[in-house]
Amino acid sequence: MKAFWRHLRRSRAGLLGVVLVSVVVLVAVCCPVIAPYDPNDQSAMMDVGANHAPTGAHPLGTDRLGYDVFSRIVYGAPTALAVGLGVMAIATSVGLLVGGVAGYAGGWTDELLMRLTEFFMVLPVFLVVLAVVRLFSILVVGSWLESVPHLNLLMVILLLGAFGWPPIARLVRGEFLRLRQAEFVEAARCIGATGADIVLRHILPNIVPSLAVAVALGIGGAVLAEAMISFLGFGDPGSPSWGQLLFFNYEVLKIAPWSSLAPAGAIFVTVLGFNLLADGLADALDPRRGK
Amino acid sequence: MSGALRYLLRRLIFAFALVVGVSAIVFFLINAVGNPIAMLVAGQPSATEDQIAQLTAYYHLDEPVGARYFAWLVRLLHFDLGTSIFYNQPVWEMLRVWGGETLKIQVPSILLALLLAVVVAPVAARRQNSALDAGVIGGALLGQAMPVFLTGILLILVFAYWLGWAPSYGAYSLRAPLLGSPVLDGLWHMALPVAMLTAFNAASFTLLLRASMVQALRQDYVVAGRASGLPEWRLVWGHALRNAFSPVLTYLGIAFGLMLASAPVTETVFTWPGLGALYINAIQQLDYPVIMGVSVAVAVMLVLATLLTDIAYVVLDPRVRLR
Repeated sequence: MKAFWRHLRRSRAGLLGVVLVSVVVLVAVCCPVIAPYDPNDQSAMMDVGANHAPTGAHPLGTDRLGYDVFSRIVYGAPTALAVGLGVMAIATSVGLLVGGVAGYAGGWTDELLMRLTEFFMVLPVFLVVLAVVRLFSILVVGSWLESVPHLNLLMVILLLGAFGWPPIARLVRGEFLRLRQAEFVEAARCIGATGADIVLRHILPNIVPSLAVAVALGIGGAVLAEAMISFLGFGDPGSPSWGQLLFFNYEVLKIAPWSSLAPAGAIFVTVLGFNLLADGLADALDPRRGK
Repeated sequence: MSGALRYLLRRLIFAFALVVGVSAIVFFLINAVGNPIAMLVAGQPSATEDQIAQLTAYYHLDEPVGARYFAWLVRLLHFDLGTSIFYNQPVWEMLRVWGGETLKIQVPSILLALLLAVVVAPVAARRQNSALDAGVIGGALLGQAMPVFLTGILLILVFAYWLGWAPSYGAYSLRAPLLGSPVLDGLWHMALPVAMLTAFNAASFTLLLRASMVQALRQDYVVAGRASGLPEWRLVWGHALRNAFSPVLTYLGIAFGLMLASAPVTETVFTWPGLGALYINAIQQLDYPVIMGVSVAVAVMLVLATLLTDIAYVVLDPRVRLR
């Protein structure tokens, strides 16, 4: 573990990734302290007005609807992290299950599951997700589901997770195939370890490093995907998100560029942070890589 | 030859499975929600129950879902994708026009990005770990994390609003074309969207190609070539590049898929009248023949892209055979 941190620190890109991700997490955790206004506070409308350039009271200006852009950005951080973590939790569980079963069982089970994975991999996922989100929003009107808070956001997380598992499954399967024949697994089998024991105690812990890299990359990807969905106007109206801020303000880009630049920049910083973190992790976990 | 034939057959079967799979998912999802006509017309005070029933019968929405899906598939075999409910035009024709606009910005940007990577990556790889190399990697990492809207916004702010060099939206001028020439006008409108997509692709291509060039330049044949006095540029761009190219080729299909799938976003940024914009309109208007049409068109284009990359593999590396 100590060596791991030393490696991670030695990779400058990885270090920058850690810093950026920490900033986003910190902002997400402390958002009520950091944000000067409530995310739903439109009082600037009566004060400086909408689309007002950055001032002392509104460090990133106000947007088309009279929201304080800085506060909306700050409150977008927990949404982005919830999406990233939620999506990857689902994708990793499904991917571990599918990839693990395929890699451990082999034979026709493997063949079948990998064909399925390939199919999901080439599916134009983003288009399908957009359609489902739209149709779902019609379907819930008038049903009990309508009272669930952040329902739309939960749906987006569920969908992105449900379609995001194939890369994880492929990775896990590859690792299972590799480790199934490793000497220490053979040895465990020789002393009579059960199948569950081999998978849980010998194979899984050895997958964690490469899985961590894939998950870090996936979080960035999920944040971007949610931003894209919200940017097109299919996001959750009830949760402040960076994509939604862009959706509200892109029309007024010419007169109020700050309210589009700020959320786009926030997405960039977050995605960059997780990408670099993944890069640094890969370097730190694989001593052969890099220098 | 039989190997190539078998390969083609397998690809065709996969393509068919993909098209059926995608269209089935979309079709049954739409129908799970209910009768799109009723939903569209609901809330319009002028629509009577009678009219809704009439339209429902007109679009065969009163028949069982399975039968309708089968009928749709059969018509697809005749290249008939039905008629758009909203535009009242044949979907096939709409796909041709809007899809052409999408390819018009996506294909050039892939080619430009490849060109950029082919020029920059070998230079960086030759001086591995130099300041230049670090700069290229840093730039590419930044570019890779840059969401398309940020690139697009920056391009629009600088080149459209500030300098006024290129238009920020649309594929054609609404009034007179630039300098009276429709071709020039089209190219002028393509400038910023193509720049945005090129930046997006070039980053990944460069990172991949640089990494594999570093490996390739260490091979014995490079040393041998250098020893026998081969000019350095032929060694790098002729021999090593050819051998280092396959990871980029593999990624090419993925990149095209990513770009097609994110077309709704890129086309919204530049108000570009392409497939993505068409798709967004269609899902907002529940224009289900168009939704189905676009999903199928994208699936087919993805399959074609994989086919092309596979063929390019064989051309580039004679050791590879289609199987």
